[in-house]
Amino acid sequence: MLKRDEWLDLARKLDWSFSYVDEREVFPEVISGRPWLAQDAWKDWDEPYRTTYAEYVTNQHAKDVALDAVREAIGRVEDFQKHDASWLNGLKLHVATLPLAEFAAVVGNLRAGRFARDSAWRTTAALGALDELRHTQIPLLLMHDLVQWDPQFDWTHKFFHTNDWVAIAGRHLVDELLLTANPIEFAIATNFVFETGFTNLQFVGLASMAHHVGDRMFEKMVQSIQTDEARHAQIGGPVLQTVLKHDPAYAQYLIDKWFWRSWHFFAIVTGFAMDYLTPLKDRTASFKEFMEEWTLDQFARSLEEYGLKKPWYWDQFLDGLDQYHHMVYASAYTYRATVWFDLTLPGPEERAWLRLKYPNTWDRMEPIWERITERARQAGPGVEWYTHGVTPVAFCDLCQLVLCEGTTDANSARTYAHEGRKYIFCSEPCQWIFQTEPQRYAAHKSVVGRILAGEAPPNLLELVKYFGLTQEMWGKDVAGGSYPWLVNAKTNGA
Amino acid sequence: MLVPLHGFLKGDSLGLVVLVHDHDTMRRVVSSLQQAATCRVAPVPPDGLRVWVKGAALDPDLTVAQAGLEPLDRIDVAPNEVTR
Repeated sequence: MLKRDEWLDLARKLDWSFSYVDEREVFPEVISGRPWLAQDAWKDWDEPYRTTYAEYVTNQHAKDVALDAVREAIGRVEDFQKHDASWLNGLKLHVATLPLAEFAAVVGNLRAGRFARDSAWRTTAALGALDELRHTQIPLLLMHDLVQWDPQFDWTHKFFHTNDWVAIAGRHLVDELLLTANPIEFAIATNFVFETGFTNLQFVGLASMAHHVGDRMFEKMVQSIQTDEARHAQIGGPVLQTVLKHDPAYAQYLIDKWFWRSWHFFAIVTGFAMDYLTPLKDRTASFKEFMEEWTLDQFARSLEEYGLKKPWYWDQFLDGLDQYHHMVYASAYTYRATVWFDLTLPGPEERAWLRLKYPNTWDRMEPIWERITERARQAGPGVEWYTHGVTPVAFCDLCQLVLCEGTTDANSARTYAHEGRKYIFCSEPCQWIFQTEPQRYAAHKSVVGRILAGEAPPNLLELVKYFGLTQEMWGKDVAGGSYPWLVNAKTNGA
Repeated sequence: MLVPLHGFLKGDSLGLVVLVHDHDTMRRVVSSLQQAATCRVAPVPPDGLRVWVKGAALDPDLTVAQAGLEPLDRIDVAPNEVTR
């Protein structure tokens, strides 16, 4: 009987020369991606896991059994109710952005399962599609029971179906990254940049915080997902290697574009959780420190190994690492009714920690929190509106997020006219991405564009309804404005 | 005529869409943006602030129409002495 490694390639390497049709018809460039290369250029494609389908089924079954056991033991409503309210709201943010994005990744992987240029790549992508289906189902299953206790958890499924501004930004990213990308762009953008570049922030960084918080369910969930991601992320490297050989400028472009887009996503989803929504005593490091350890060092090293340059905007990115998520969080706190999770008002101890972790930039944020705190104190507990904005906010026409790049002194937003329409971008890289492929992005309407076109209401209260939120669902202050330090400060005359 | 502008108040964390009339003066535009950002940025006496467009501070008595501001233009509101 043949040993595994003796027969494996007979099952994985199934490409042959076509005699009745042209190879370009079987793998059209418009679907398979560019550079279009004959199969010969891809024939050495390989990845280290080389998993067989039988191994895949056995391994995944074991993982699901293990996760089910954890769910049985600590996945009930009363187990979640024990956690700190801020942490639970970080959880709501995560679980909303996760499952249907993973479902979009099923589609991206399936496209690669048919149109990727080597059969071993197609096999690995098909297993990747099964992985992503699992990552869709797990959070939906785990959070479903919590809906009866806290309706905001309903956004685990609902989020991507709404017109909430975060969902619009999420879809803008996910539709391009996962749903519509051809297998080459998908492999470099999703597998190489997004998965190997950033997801360790979640799988290592946030998992360690979940451990400290005592949320073993979340910890086990992301660890279980990580084992899948680690395998299918390996698709990216060998694809990048081949593209680099034939079209290095395009490879660099894809890296630069997707690093920026991924960065904005993680700055919000992970930045909020690590620096604001995790209780202070459980924070093992700041978002910036995790980024430095798990993204900057490792990703920069792998770019170097491939002979790639750091993205051209690297210095702007490093500046943003110190302030972008802080700018967005302060903005989101004062527009919390526009999101589906509650936000916390950072108190003196938390702000001292943030100053320690962000010594070069925190002084710019401090006056904003002093102002919000002062108004929260004047309003007293339970009065949300006094620390809430009422004017519509402006959104970037590329990333669709609020215009929070730059600093409080010099917001880096920039306007641009294209074919008679005015656009605004939060940053130079967002404008650069738009200008490089305007046909991809020009027709999309931001929230402001929808308001001006009469498709969305201008009044914030009505706009919140357009976002799919009701008073029961919309975000509030985590503590209802009732913080011991706020009362003490008043008593002390501070 | 109503004119929506992208407004950035110095000290604020984000850009806002302020709706002004074409006959509003720059003084009024300053006040509108300050009001819109008041929960994050403590108001200062508006006389010390100017509307800045493309690096130039506009006369406080100039109207939106006279300044040639069009829908979705970017304006900044910052102290008078700021050099942009």
